[in-house]
Amino acid sequence: MTARQTFVKVAQHAVGGREDTLITLGLGSCVAIMLHDRATLVGGMAHVLLPEPSLARDASNPSKFATSAVPLLMDEIRALGGSASRLEARLVGGASMFTSLMGPGSLNMGERNIRASREALKKANIPILAEEVGRDYGRSVRYWIGESRIVVTSVGRPDIVL
Amino acid sequence: MIDLRDLQEIQLDALREVSNMGAGHAATALSQMTKSRIMINVPRLQVSRLEDVPELLQKPDEVVAAVLMHMLGDLTGRTLLIFPRHSAMRLSEILLHRPAGSSHVFGELEQSAIKEAGNILSAAYMNALSDFMGLMLLPSVPSLVIDLCAAVLTTTYTNFGHERDYVFCIQTEFSMEEGKDAVSGHFLLLPDVESLQIILRSIRLA
Repeated sequence: MTARQTFVKVAQHAVGGREDTLITLGLGSCVAIMLHDRATLVGGMAHVLLPEPSLARDASNPSKFATSAVPLLMDEIRALGGSASRLEARLVGGASMFTSLMGPGSLNMGERNIRASREALKKANIPILAEEVGRDYGRSVRYWIGESRIVVTSVGRPDIVL
Repeated sequence: MIDLRDLQEIQLDALREVSNMGAGHAATALSQMTKSRIMINVPRLQVSRLEDVPELLQKPDEVVAAVLMHMLGDLTGRTLLIFPRHSAMRLSEILLHRPAGSSHVFGELEQSAIKEAGNILSAAYMNALSDFMGLMLLPSVPSLVIDLCAAVLTTTYTNFGHERDYVFCIQTEFSMEEGKDAVSGHFLLLPDVESLQIILRSIRLA
């Protein structure tokens, strides 16, 4: 099977079917939200940078924010024949790097991105199947939609299958 | 507050000149540490959308060693020193007086050497700025990560900066003159936008 590979960059998203592999490289405090419909093998990935649009002046790109990326992915997955009621979510990223420089007052964007993603999924009634989030290292994600499989790689660490 | 996209050519030139001075001092420090000649390029000023930050140094999926420090005092912001993996390893070998190619892992000693080098370079850079502008600049302790360049850059801006739309950096590339395993890297000065105004004012261009 010749798979199609799509690289999802920061503040972008992509959806696809059984032929597709969605890849995102170098998640730091960003979070990758993957929504998957196991029955139709349709899924999508958003690489969100910030928790919510109110944190930026320009809120025109919905895939930049956790709260707006979830409904966006749902719409596009539905358009490909997936069902919102069958969707399962997986979350990767939200690391806190350079932790020794984070004072008591500093905002931990990784943590906030994780929290906002979980809340957005809860609001959309999508269960979270698995998470590989937090800690202090970056991650890259490969999502084979046809195999319902996600592999997370990090520098100097063993791969993790979600 | 200034809109980064409205900076004028004369202001950009001045910022380039100011950072060139900082980079020169940092290069001298690196040169003394490694006992070799260090070349630096003309500083590049970049205003980019926050989402384009991973592409700032062209290679988002390269493994790098990055030393981040806060800049405190009259100006606030950060300095970020980025070495490609092999350069960081070579630098640690030089500082630890080991033969080239003898180290393969970033153990505690290697990490500590890289962090210390970052500390010295950033402090030299800040000292030069401080002297020139007559402002007080204080470096924080350094923090080191070894990770993908994209993860380092986005985290630096989203976790520690306050801009969520357009961001700013002054970047200088440096490299040892000779050899295939010469050390090279990038020095990034990341002043907060409010501090950019202070810099410009101190050189009478605001």
